Amino acid sequence: MTQQPQHTKTKRYGMVIDLDKCTGCGACMVACYAENNVPFRQDESDKMRSLNWIRVMKVDNGKPFPDTQVCYIPMPCMQCDGQHMQGHSPCVSVCPAVATDYDQTTGIVSQIYTRCFGCRYCMAACPYHARKFNWWDPKWPADMEKYLNPDVSARMRGVVEKCSFCYHRYQKARDKAYVEGREELHEDEYQTACAQACPTNAITFGDLHNPEHSVYSRSRSKTAFRLLERLNTNPKVYYLSSKSWVRRKADNYLEGENFEQIREKARKAAATH
Amino acid sequence: MSTQSDNQTAAAGNRSSGWVVFVFFMIGLVASIISGWVAFPKLLYSTKQQPIDFNHQVHLEQMGGQCNACHFFREDGSFSGSPTLEECKSCHMYPMTGNENEQKFIDEYVNQDKEVPWLIYAEQPPCVFFSHAAHVKGADMQCATCHGDIGHSTSLREYQENRISGYSRDIWGKSMLRLGEAEHGRRQKMNDCAECHLKETGSKGNCFQCHK
Amino acid sequence: MKIDRRCFLSLVIGGAVGTTLTPVPWKLTDDIAIWSQNWPWTPVPEDGPSKFVKSVCNQCPGGCGITVRTIGDRAIKIEGQPDHPVNKGSLCPRAISATQHFYGPSRIQGPMKRAGERGQGKWEKISWDEAIKTVTEKLAELRTRGKPHTVACISDTDRNGSSYLLDRFLKAYGSPNFIRTPSSADAQELALYLSCGRQGTIGYDFRKADFILSFGCALMDGCDAAGQVMSAFGEQDKKTRLVQIEARLSDTAAKAAQWVPAKPGSETVLALGLGHVIVRDGLYNKAFIEDHGFAFEDWQDDAGNTHPGYRSLVQAHSPDKVAKATGLSEKVIESLARSFARARRPVAVSGLGSAAPVSLDQSLAVFALNALAGNFQKPGGVFLIDEPDYLSWTEMKIDKTASAGNQQPRVDGAGSERFAHTRYLPNQLPEAINSAKGDSPVQALLVAGGNPLYTLADTQAVEKAFEKIPFIVSFSTFMDETAEQADLLLPHPHFLESYQDVPTPRGMAHTVISLARPVVKPQYDTRPTADVVIQIAKNLGGFIENAFPWKNYEDFLQKSLSDQWKTLEKQGYWSDSKSRDTSLDEIFRTASQRFEFFPMSKLAAMNGNGNKKAGVEKIELPGDIAKMPLVLVPYISMRISDGAVANTPFMTKTLDANVVLENDVFVEINPKTASEYGLSQGDKATVKTQAGQAEVRVNLFEGIMPGLVAMPAGLGRTGFSDYIAGKGANVYGLVAPAVDPASGLNAAWGAKAAIAKA
Repeated sequence: MTQQPQHTKTKRYGMVIDLDKCTGCGACMVACYAENNVPFRQDESDKMRSLNWIRVMKVDNGKPFPDTQVCYIPMPCMQCDGQHMQGHSPCVSVCPAVATDYDQTTGIVSQIYTRCFGCRYCMAACPYHARKFNWWDPKWPADMEKYLNPDVSARMRGVVEKCSFCYHRYQKARDKAYVEGREELHEDEYQTACAQACPTNAITFGDLHNPEHSVYSRSRSKTAFRLLERLNTNPKVYYLSSKSWVRRKADNYLEGENFEQIREKARKAAATH
Repeated sequence: MSTQSDNQTAAAGNRSSGWVVFVFFMIGLVASIISGWVAFPKLLYSTKQQPIDFNHQVHLEQMGGQCNACHFFREDGSFSGSPTLEECKSCHMYPMTGNENEQKFIDEYVNQDKEVPWLIYAEQPPCVFFSHAAHVKGADMQCATCHGDIGHSTSLREYQENRISGYSRDIWGKSMLRLGEAEHGRRQKMNDCAECHLKETGSKGNCFQCHK
Repeated sequence: MKIDRRCFLSLVIGGAVGTTLTPVPWKLTDDIAIWSQNWPWTPVPEDGPSKFVKSVCNQCPGGCGITVRTIGDRAIKIEGQPDHPVNKGSLCPRAISATQHFYGPSRIQGPMKRAGERGQGKWEKISWDEAIKTVTEKLAELRTRGKPHTVACISDTDRNGSSYLLDRFLKAYGSPNFIRTPSSADAQELALYLSCGRQGTIGYDFRKADFILSFGCALMDGCDAAGQVMSAFGEQDKKTRLVQIEARLSDTAAKAAQWVPAKPGSETVLALGLGHVIVRDGLYNKAFIEDHGFAFEDWQDDAGNTHPGYRSLVQAHSPDKVAKATGLSEKVIESLARSFARARRPVAVSGLGSAAPVSLDQSLAVFALNALAGNFQKPGGVFLIDEPDYLSWTEMKIDKTASAGNQQPRVDGAGSERFAHTRYLPNQLPEAINSAKGDSPVQALLVAGGNPLYTLADTQAVEKAFEKIPFIVSFSTFMDETAEQADLLLPHPHFLESYQDVPTPRGMAHTVISLARPVVKPQYDTRPTADVVIQIAKNLGGFIENAFPWKNYEDFLQKSLSDQWKTLEKQGYWSDSKSRDTSLDEIFRTASQRFEFFPMSKLAAMNGNGNKKAGVEKIELPGDIAKMPLVLVPYISMRISDGAVANTPFMTKTLDANVVLENDVFVEINPKTASEYGLSQGDKATVKTQAGQAEVRVNLFEGIMPGLVAMPAGLGRTGFSDYIAGKGANVYGLVAPAVDPASGLNAAWGAKAAIAKA
């Protein structure tokens, strides 16, 4: 909570999603599919096999009508820093092919499709189900290949894919900065497709180290939390919710556990150097 | 092997003698070395001609010695690469010289509104992201450092394509052993990039830096 | 010398040793590694300079500004246009994935005529000349026979240039039968006309309102107002209070500060009950009612008859009675009324994008709440928006045949003595055709926008009616359910490849015109419907030809929008925020020049109706309650396109496995109700209504009122492509229309239903 900003050039790109604002509309998912050439099939109802870089989960408070409440939780790749922020993300440490690595300069976990041979260890290791396997070759019927984005490679059968925090947008923003003779990026220059598309501005994106970026203060707010914090995966995707039952859903807390306290402890442990 | 055969020759005189075996060994050795060094490269690479010849030298002079007159950065920071037909047409809508290549360009491409299918010597696989801006603007590198002195060439050299991988020979470099300086700028395999990055920036970089 | 096996082995070994001394193994290994990473069967999209083109989405009436990223002649991605006054950069999934429809397999790629039986799916490609000639000949023949009025045109809008031209064509040709497909705002717009004397739309200043009272509007579930509302919701701090009145915990209800689960169909009573409390406690805006209100108190007409005013009307709706009717507690009703009245900038909204249509009385009752608050024409309040005035017209002369045709009664009964103020009654059309003796009263039907065979209530009746129409032309861009049953297809281009004007969307608080433009070259052999209509007019000749002095649609738009065209070309929209400044003295154009709580015009219409009582019409759903004890209510979801144009594959992909599983749609039922019928999660079941039945699966949801069965609208398509068709069932096919006696419009807020385990 009281973690000091590091005055270094390294960035820690992260996301803060305000669940009070998320309406579950699905714009983030569709914008992501369109941006990242995510393929689709006729039947996508088998969710274990449906390719998604960001999913929106629906949870409820379990109370009967009319006291029911629901909440949507958009889940991209959490871009785990691992303990002590050393890039010891669950997926990176198990990949036998070095097809996924942790970028120390941005904190983004990569996935290189040409390198991946599809063993799916990373999928087993990821506690967030952020990774998806290509069980089939992609197919774009009629003239749909024409809308594919050249900034992102199309994948093939047999490889794993996941959210990249739209790294290609980071590259493009940096290119523009280079040409304009700048070193630093403005907050709005690099935004993921989902953050840009979110119609209610529930998703905000930026450098968690940079006090000028809105995610800096938002991620430090009292109602901020992350998913499965006790695993010390140290995710860079934060959530905000004014509702205590939503915050409680973030981990498998036992009945009677003071989850806010546990969370605080876990966060401090993860941030200790 | 040959010691063993000597013993056996003594025992049974109807086997070929040791030196015959050795000669065969040498034939195999020499033939494979020759074919590996001489025939293999010829077989591995197919030679392709550019659709039309192009004189960089003349253009460079006309354009004030600036590569970026034709190979420029767009406003969004992306690099334009080879000029498009539209860009070439801004000068060559009609013949400017009596050059036969120019005439061919106008007949076959301008008049038919077709892009010239240039063969790009430094073309990288589609999974590679290369930022010209980072190198040229960020690190202040010269074009020739990687691309060689192509700007002063008067005609396009032949393009060699690897029959297996499908990419240009320039990526590996002409020398099969990758020894010495490359003839045309720099070699451009992943390790070449990493080596230079390690030297210049202290890190080979991360995967996403160059892969998409 | 003897050459034997050993020599051969030796040769091979020598070769192997030699090979290791060459680059062959090392180079080959590397090349093969690279080769193994080449996937020639996966596409490598061509790169090039990116451009961002400003345009507007045209897939629903929402009118959201879009920015299309293009590379070369390819439309890559659709994003929100941040400076567009309607949506300020916000977009729904349908808009974002529009490129999928644009390039997808459901496009009709050129004019075609039916080759087999209707609906068989056999088509023969024809030329545009032949297609236009066929239509011209048919229309000319009907005119010669003196039956121009048997031509009808169905359109999904009556507010853009293309629909104006169609309407003008029908008038010049001699038919009164221009019909707009239904919208949930129909009754609200009629209420606006009756109480304020204006044809147009109601704008709500969502961005500045501090209290939004929504009567079942799908503000954040459906598309129609989503761009505006979601961007406003994103801007709002948590002080803005959104209250959602709805029997199901929809996404709007989930985001609301308060969810008020009133029984469906009781909204009118609730609105009057809120009025009761506000009037009783004197919390209404007295100055507004004094200066601009009419019929708040009892009033006398010119003949000297006394009529009850609003005060008397709400008298009967005391909180205890309303509590009974709505299933809410008196306390909730009292406090809701008070917090609405005490808010500084409250708006009450009805009929904006709700899944089911609303009645005229509900619209009037909700609209009256705004009048009680006196929040017209001020920030955070209600603004009255006129119909677009940019379409300037040259006067047209019509011939005798045309004027005779125009005098015939409309086939749908709109504008008749009974429903004098209703402009279109699309839901009466099937009945009018099916009950006609002899020939169908519609001999030729032009479907230009809209997809009536999917969206009209009671699909079976609509299908039957369409079978009786001898000549159906579809102008659809896609192979939709209506196009499948047509005789002739004249495909209209997609909005990413043509000019299309989009007038002020419903709910918008000031005038905004947007322009869709060709972002990329036309993909297929399509033609704008308006171009075709102009061509047909020219072919028919005479007065009809003279009524169309334009070369084509683009020419028409340029001339009509003369002043605004340049702005539209440049920034994609033209915004007139001055339209907000009209003073209260000028906005009411009723006979009394005031806001009429009890519209005199409604009274006149009711007299024509033979109903002189000033009461509230209760909408009864057809069917036997003993056999069908449950109520099926449609719901809409942002991830399912409920309108004329179906889902994109991306939208279907976002659906949870308890909404659609394989080809089954789930209905939501309260666990309590489910246990009464022995249903558990995931069970297959049959839902039966008077109009039809459907095979579904059961999703237990605590967020729905017991006794209801909720089913998403927009599934059960037969048209479009394999990625869309065949999933679930069409809820519109299960809901038979219930005629609102006050307007003739369909006001079926659900259908009596039974459910049984399959």
